[in-house]
Amino acid sequence: MGTTGSVDRRSLLKAAGASLATLGLTAAGCGSGSGSGGGTVTIRYAWWGADDRAKKINQTIALFEKKYPKIKVKTDFQPYADFWTKFQTQASGGNPPDVFQNAIGFLRKYNDKHVLLDLNAQVKAGNLSMDGFRAGLDAFGEVDGKLLGIPVGSNSMSLVIDKDAYRRAGITPKLGWTWDDYYAGLKKIHDGQHIAGDTGPMGIMYVYDLVLRQAGKAFFTEKDLGFTEADLTEWWNKGFEGVKSGIYADPKKVEQIKPKAGLSDGLSAGEFTWDNFSVRYTAEGKGNYGLAPIPSTDGKTTGQYLGSLMLSGSARTKHPKEVAQFINFMVHEPAVAKIMGYDRGVPSTTAQFDAFKPSDTVAQGISAYETQIATAGVLQTITPHPAGADTCEAAFLRIANDVSLGTSSVDKGVKQFFSEAKTALGT
Amino acid sequence: MSVLTAYRRKSAGSLAWHIGSLAVLAVVLYPVLWVIGGSLKPSSEIVGSLDLFPASPITKNYTRLTEGIADIPISTFFVNSLFLAVGSVIGVLISCSLAAYAFAKIRFAGRNALFAVMIGTLLLPYHVLLIPQYVLFQKLDLINTYTPLLLGKYLATDAFFVFLMMQFMRNLPRELDEAARLDGCGHLRIYWSIVLPLCRPALITSAIFTFINSWNDFLGPLIYLNEPDKYTVALGLKMFVDQDAVADYGGMIAMSLVALLPVLAFFMAFQRYLVDGMATSGLKG
Amino acid sequence: MTHIQDAAPERLVKSSGAQDGPGPLAVPAALKRRGRRENLAGLLFLSPWVVGLLLLTAGPMLASLYLAFTDYNLFDTPKWIGLQNFTDMFGDPRWQKSVRVTLQYVVIGTPLKLLLALGVALLLNQNRRGQAFYRAAFYAPSLIGASVSIAIVWRSLFSDDAVVDRAQQLFGMEAGGWISNPDMKIYSLVLLTVWQFGAPMVIFLAGLKQVPNELYEAAEVDGAGTWRRFWNITLPMISPVLFFNLLLETIHSFQVFGSAYILGGQGSSCGPADSVLVYTCYLYDQGFANGRMGFASAMAWLLLITVGLVTAVLFWSQKRWVHYEEGAR
Repeated sequence: MGTTGSVDRRSLLKAAGASLATLGLTAAGCGSGSGSGGGTVTIRYAWWGADDRAKKINQTIALFEKKYPKIKVKTDFQPYADFWTKFQTQASGGNPPDVFQNAIGFLRKYNDKHVLLDLNAQVKAGNLSMDGFRAGLDAFGEVDGKLLGIPVGSNSMSLVIDKDAYRRAGITPKLGWTWDDYYAGLKKIHDGQHIAGDTGPMGIMYVYDLVLRQAGKAFFTEKDLGFTEADLTEWWNKGFEGVKSGIYADPKKVEQIKPKAGLSDGLSAGEFTWDNFSVRYTAEGKGNYGLAPIPSTDGKTTGQYLGSLMLSGSARTKHPKEVAQFINFMVHEPAVAKIMGYDRGVPSTTAQFDAFKPSDTVAQGISAYETQIATAGVLQTITPHPAGADTCEAAFLRIANDVSLGTSSVDKGVKQFFSEAKTALGT
Repeated sequence: MSVLTAYRRKSAGSLAWHIGSLAVLAVVLYPVLWVIGGSLKPSSEIVGSLDLFPASPITKNYTRLTEGIADIPISTFFVNSLFLAVGSVIGVLISCSLAAYAFAKIRFAGRNALFAVMIGTLLLPYHVLLIPQYVLFQKLDLINTYTPLLLGKYLATDAFFVFLMMQFMRNLPRELDEAARLDGCGHLRIYWSIVLPLCRPALITSAIFTFINSWNDFLGPLIYLNEPDKYTVALGLKMFVDQDAVADYGGMIAMSLVALLPVLAFFMAFQRYLVDGMATSGLKG
Repeated sequence: MTHIQDAAPERLVKSSGAQDGPGPLAVPAALKRRGRRENLAGLLFLSPWVVGLLLLTAGPMLASLYLAFTDYNLFDTPKWIGLQNFTDMFGDPRWQKSVRVTLQYVVIGTPLKLLLALGVALLLNQNRRGQAFYRAAFYAPSLIGASVSIAIVWRSLFSDDAVVDRAQQLFGMEAGGWISNPDMKIYSLVLLTVWQFGAPMVIFLAGLKQVPNELYEAAEVDGAGTWRRFWNITLPMISPVLFFNLLLETIHSFQVFGSAYILGGQGSSCGPADSVLVYTCYLYDQGFANGRMGFASAMAWLLLITVGLVTAVLFWSQKRWVHYEEGAR
């Protein structure tokens, strides 16, 4: 053993030396990504998503780099939750990506922390055009007069349904139908087909937001919650009754099939979600899925608005001009829409909207749905959520689930939510 | 007792041992079998499925991996992970064994206090250290390199391994280093020629754990690496599923099995050294 | 942490082996010289660790200690608020829940995992054929356990009418699936970590290999049976690794994060009904998802103190039952 032992040790040492040397090389060779040399500028672009979005984005970046040979774009992506962990860490450390994907719930939050670039100056300088956006989307990323996010694709809340289950029950949801029609339909489906009418909307913040908007309120005001404990008690009582009577799916079953959706697993005949998420049901489930309008209170107002993913710049970027040019290209260039399709929602500018004609039925359904609500004139505008809205959304979902499982009473749950929201919103 | 009956009794015992071991193993490996079965199912049938194996197995989940993820060949992630894992193993073996020797065999002033500090570093959840450490490495301009992920390994920051090696060193027969000391050997000689060879089981154990920890590490690579082609397997595994996308569970499960192979290979290659510990290392003389 | 110092390496049981060794013969002058040499050697051997401590660990640790007494949202300047994070914590029902869940997890999970690890290590420490296969096979769960796909597997094993539920039904229990049952889900988490018993098993195995064969041979000559050999030889001889495993598994259990995060689904929610909301999950949720890093730091330091006390008790107890070869000099 003696000789082999010492040989082992020698080769171990050699390997250690080599590895330390490589360490040094790596450190020397790859400095920070945003340095500029020889007239080329490198910008970092981060977003959340998975493999298929990555492939599309890589293609659009190739197009961009071809048109702007002096700008190099380095991408970085993770799933949603990991993206925000990383973003938070990097932004807190003063090193956020130059340009990144963003959503409405984070605008005020990161504006308060001076993380976001006000793009108004770039619009004035002519590096970014705010013309040609659909249905009020140009104002979507504005907070207190600052332009903090540019919409890349729009979406709207919708009711995804199992069309066969609805047809068997003899229900045809159409624009202007009411919550009473909707609840009657759920009961009919439940009684006749031994599945729940809906997976259960009580924890979806965006659905409750619509219900409140139909009553002239909203989930959030600029700084606070826009509803009272009594409002929420009523909504959750109604939800809990729905669970007990079986018109909503058994929350235990829904828990067991996660991360699959209740609708695609056949537990229910419908659920509320963003219209561009409807793609996943066809991929996951066996049913014949379609989009139905949001029920209303007065037979007219749905409270809907076009939401959107956005691109934002970092306030610390050394290359605001290049960031603006990049965003401009991504939202206006028709060729980009041809590549991205409806991956991030329906393209937000008319130039891009017209450039992509969906060929599959799901995307056609989304297109038809958004055209329908736009022409029906139900679309409203939305105030950007207060800082802490993301925390409220998570708490709303979690506590609603506790209530529907029966581990917390409605009253206790409402109190808990308001107390957590108070901490999160700093009110 | 004849040789034959002794032999029979021995083989009967052996049979019972194997049956017992396999029974325990069957329970323990059931979930692993489920993963293997899952990798042969289409994505839409994986979640919530109660069957161990599909009626008609498919190989698409594996062939799909050859296309790469996000335009990056799978092999890139494996090479990156291997580099980090091997680099970590070397660092931990050197730095932690040195520190362990100091705590176990050298009587220097302040040893007790430093030992308490070392144990103290084990006790704080690392999440609260993430951001200060990030800021530190950023000031050193080392973001988007592998240095933040490796440096600590060469500086014995993982108290777990220092403590593990130390426990083994303290259990070595004391006569050995006393004798060496009387022969005039210094600490370096004793460390290198006596203690390290005798601690091989502890070193191999540390090597295996370090390799696996590095291989599975997620948060470190997540915050320090900014380009997908520098990513590790653990990050690559997360590229199959996102809330905005149609989840590719099949690809994810297949890749998690493929990702297991290098670790398993590392374990298989080194576990045999676990066998020749003290008992066979020529100590008897 | 004064207890740890008390129990640090110097003050250990004197082993029987040590009595045979050469005693300390040195005169005071030589002792002094040797003391200086020892200090220098200690410094040299420890230098990488000291550099690591000063460069990478100490600063961030002290920073988090300071933040524990501030309101810090990761961006604005931390605001000193004294003990308010701690008082907030004690009045927070989710924090209380996370303490209960963690204690449940530590108290049930740690002994189970150690017993299983020791049992399988003893099984594998015999000279049988196919050892390499068995070792690798028993280690496999620890290799795959950290993978995201395990979340899907566990859901499938612990759903209604899945394997575990059917096994329960055989014994006449009607508990249904554990994964959606807020009272039972914690046990599926415990089983997930107990299942990954590979690390302590390997450490036990390495410890078992360190036991000199002649001890067993001598015992056999004396006619000691299997149980007596285990009790009188194996257990004392592996007590340092047993101590190590007990200590580290306890510390790790208090800090458990990954498996709860994976099983909890939906970010750091660790539900349903916070059923697997372990301490570190809540810390992560508050620090990262909610941006309350001051609060999270306070949680971290409270955990450090708690686990530090437990550690101190364990160190103190080792005088009574842990056997080291080296003796005091």
